[in-house]
Amino acid sequence: MNLVRGFATTFKHILEGPVTVQYPEQERPLRERFKGKHALKRYDNGLEKCIGCSLCAAACPADAIWVEAAENTDEERYSPGERYAKTYEINMLRCIFCGYCEDACPTEAIVLEHEFRLSFNDRRDAIYTKDKLIDPLPAGVEGTPRQTEPGVYTRSIPDMKNPD
Amino acid sequence: MAETVTISIDGQSYQVPKGANLVDAAKLHGTDIPVFCYHPKMKPVGMCRMCLVELGSVTVNRESGKPDLDEHGQPVIRWQPKLQTACTQTVSEGMAIRTSTAKVVEARDDILEFILTSHPLDCPICDKGGECPLQNLTMAYGPGESQFLYDDKQHLAKHVPLGELIYLDRERCIQCARCTRFCDEVVGDDVLAFHERGRKLQIVTVSDPPFDTKFSGNTTDICPVGALTTADFRFGARPWELSEVPSICPHCPVGCNISASTRLDRDSGGKKVIKRIMPRQNEQVNEIWICDKGRFGHHHSLSSNRLQTPMLKKDGAWVEIDWKTAYQEVTSRLQKYGEKVGFLAGPSLSNEDLWEMRKLARRTCRDCQIGLWPATMTGLEAVTQAGVGVGTHLAALGPESAILVIASDFEEEAPIWWLQVKQAADRGAKVMVANARPTKLDQYAKCVVRYEYGEAVEVLNHIAVFARRHDKLNQTLVEGRVDGFAELEADLKGKRVPKQHSEAAELLLDTENLVIFAGNEGLTLAQQAELMQAAANLLILTGHVARPNNGLVAVWPGANMQGALDLGFSAEATVSLLDNPPSMWVIGDADPVAEDARAAAVLDQAEFVVVSTQFMTPTAEQADLVLPVLSFAEREGTFTNAMRRVQRFYMAQTPLEGALSAWKVFAQIGSALPGGDKPRISAALVMRDIAQHVVRYAGMNYTDLAHVETQFPDVGGHDLYYGGNAYANHGGLGIQWATNAEKENYRLTVRPVSAEAPKYEDLTLIPIRLLYNRDVLFEPSTVMHARIPAPYADFNAKDAAQLGIIDGDQVVISAGDLQINVSARVNGQAPTGFVLLPIRLSQLPVPAAPAMCSVQKVEE
Ligand code: SF4
Ligand code: SF4
Ligand code: SF4
Ligand code: SF4
Ligand code: FES
Repeated sequence: MNLVRGFATTFKHILEGPVTVQYPEQERPLRERFKGKHALKRYDNGLEKCIGCSLCAAACPADAIWVEAAENTDEERYSPGERYAKTYEINMLRCIFCGYCEDACPTEAIVLEHEFRLSFNDRRDAIYTKDKLIDPLPAGVEGTPRQTEPGVYTRSIPDMKNPD
Repeated sequence: MAETVTISIDGQSYQVPKGANLVDAAKLHGTDIPVFCYHPKMKPVGMCRMCLVELGSVTVNRESGKPDLDEHGQPVIRWQPKLQTACTQTVSEGMAIRTSTAKVVEARDDILEFILTSHPLDCPICDKGGECPLQNLTMAYGPGESQFLYDDKQHLAKHVPLGELIYLDRERCIQCARCTRFCDEVVGDDVLAFHERGRKLQIVTVSDPPFDTKFSGNTTDICPVGALTTADFRFGARPWELSEVPSICPHCPVGCNISASTRLDRDSGGKKVIKRIMPRQNEQVNEIWICDKGRFGHHHSLSSNRLQTPMLKKDGAWVEIDWKTAYQEVTSRLQKYGEKVGFLAGPSLSNEDLWEMRKLARRTCRDCQIGLWPATMTGLEAVTQAGVGVGTHLAALGPESAILVIASDFEEEAPIWWLQVKQAADRGAKVMVANARPTKLDQYAKCVVRYEYGEAVEVLNHIAVFARRHDKLNQTLVEGRVDGFAELEADLKGKRVPKQHSEAAELLLDTENLVIFAGNEGLTLAQQAELMQAAANLLILTGHVARPNNGLVAVWPGANMQGALDLGFSAEATVSLLDNPPSMWVIGDADPVAEDARAAAVLDQAEFVVVSTQFMTPTAEQADLVLPVLSFAEREGTFTNAMRRVQRFYMAQTPLEGALSAWKVFAQIGSALPGGDKPRISAALVMRDIAQHVVRYAGMNYTDLAHVETQFPDVGGHDLYYGGNAYANHGGLGIQWATNAEKENYRLTVRPVSAEAPKYEDLTLIPIRLLYNRDVLFEPSTVMHARIPAPYADFNAKDAAQLGIIDGDQVVISAGDLQINVSARVNGQAPTGFVLLPIRLSQLPVPAAPAMCSVQKVEE
């Protein structure tokens, strides 16, 4: 009896088509929450979300992130508030794409997106610098650093809301 | 142990020192009472209410005088109905506290909720985040959430400069008043204050220029939140990313223990660099404070002007050479000039550097002179006999002690000692200041003695005479161990003591302890030597030696002058070198050309000059061969502070490529000379050599120098509330070498000193030392430039009127061949007939000793 059941399973699968996908000709859609290469996000007005707080680096179990911060001024502003990331690097060979950095970030600046095709011929190229990570500017806004009105961007972390 | 009392903490009985603060006493036994406003180095104010505890006391039966007992035979404790602030309590017999009952826990929770009502919670960008007492205590004792509405938070200015060094974030301030109390109580500078009331209460600076104190950086350490940040460090790194390396400040004779917070740095090519300097607790040296020079003056180490290759001057142009060639150049010259080589060591070479330099000198010729630069102070003999006792603790001096500061502008020359002496005065110590002009310490002195420049020695002599007449001599010591007393007595006999001096003597000699700090202001080298001996005479005769908190301290003009003297270098040798110039000079990290016109002229005549240096100083420019060496932060070594404490510093920064430790350079050169041995491979081994050959350093080694123990008050431990993670001392407390007075079998010598003072008839120029100057090790710290005054000279109002100059005029001072361009200040500092001229405010030399001068006003 068991024998019959076993063979039944086998024959059922013979009739099904193959599950193998012919990558790269064919691609499977990625899940919404897939964790691929990181992106450093910008606000709609083009300012960088990252405030150089290094919490992502502290959370990273693989020690893949390196952040050095510097001070914003109204003449040369990168991000809201006083602090921005002067250096932001992720070593993609070290990264295990766990997404802890995303969880740690107080401004939702670092997000693991859908790009997973990373390749490099030199280990040093695996260190993605800030210009490789940062999102392109939204259309029609000025880039960073830029001059801003004094007294407008005084806060680094977007205002929290009272719970409803 | 001192007297103790028994208190009960959470039902357990403990013995604690009598008179201790309750918070400290509890901490001693491992019970944390969280605090914000209280700090063990300052008086309690009870402002934050974080330290609430249940407080009670044993009830005592009036008739029997014994504690009432309950049915279990336990003493009955009467608890106070309301919670009390622990920080404002002094322990007393029978005191009982409960620190973890529901009532206390709830109170802490509430206090934190209140403190956080308007706190911005921007920990992610806050420099304190990670080592912040508010963060820590909120995590440990605070509420998980707030009942206050987020929108009701008040928003305040986040970037308020309090002067050019410190920034205030008004939102973060929790109004604990630690910063203002530090400035008022500890420093005594009226620079910070609270302004307004209630919700508007805020810290403002009330001085002009703003935050005008030499100790401003310390407020950022003790601020329990990130409200105060330094311009130097702001956003330099997160605290957990920094690694702390123990080091010693290279700027002045106090030898403050510092901790270099280091991190790898992209802009510096991945090198490990110093991000900030923090104090490191050493109760017997700097407690937990450092001055702003030590804190912000570390940038020379990372300067882009540092030399990286040996360079030889060929036909007036510099040619880069490799080290091997450089060594050959030097050894061949040393052999060629043999007896005609002079050695000169600078003020901040480490003991190891000095030892190898001395070895090189000995190997070059039998009696090569090894001079010390600057050659303005001497007196090793006096210090060896009567230096302060081992274990001297300035922070503990009180009414039973007297302190005499003579011929020194203490705050400028040794800031942290100034701070400690000032606080000792507040505790009742009898401080006496003797100088020819007013200095800042005067306002804390019980007695101020004014003399005319050059008469400093006389003052000490008079005090000795007074001591003899009034039976203040320590007969046992004098009869038992002192040589030369008869001659000294004969010399002192019959001297008339002016009233002012006898009053001072009465004050000083009436106490159990006496410490003398001797400087060199307004003294020639010879007079300064006499001053040191006069101080030693006085201390020996009155028995103020061989005990802690008694003895002599020289306010040397450099971080490791004491070490240099200990190892045989001397100012006298420098003088003899300048008098009989050798053909070849080997100079280690000194800059005589920038400081002294005569030295510049002598060096100009020399046939070959080798300079080991970090920078192309004027001396290096004039040399024939320069050898690039490492800064204090890039290697290991030891400095000996002016209280004779040998202290280790460690490698904090990745060494500059191409440069070497000075001791290695000298050792390499020496190894190629006949009879030379192989260079040691580490500084530790050089110290072993020193310990074997130099009696004072006998038995010292790097392991013992690194010994640490828990200090009281313990602010560097793992508690959550004192803040700053760098106070902890992991690098060693250092070892003080013992004076002869402390060694039973040594005899002490006194001798008459000549108090002869030149009568200064004409306008005389007196060089003075300022803390902030353009010294080569300080000038690269651009953050401090605003504090370095432009070259100036102080004139007496009378002289100024005669010369027709007013405050702010540009004048040319001519002294000998020197023409010095400065702006004139007329502000009551200078005594009549004298012009005070700070040294090293420019790269141009000024006289190093009192000199006759004439002054010309520059017409616009
Ligand atoms: S995804 Fe994980 S491993 Fe990769 S950088 Fe972020 S925290 Fe580090
Ligand atoms: S990405 Fe986020 S967590 Fe990382 S440094 Fe920037 S703001 Fe901080
Ligand atoms: S600035 Fe800091 S130390 Fe000063 S009162 Fe505010 S919280 Fe206290
Ligand atoms: S007091 Fe002297 S040793 Fe201490 S930090 Fe200041 S300069 Fe350095
Ligand atoms: S009230 Fe006691 S620590 Fe602030």
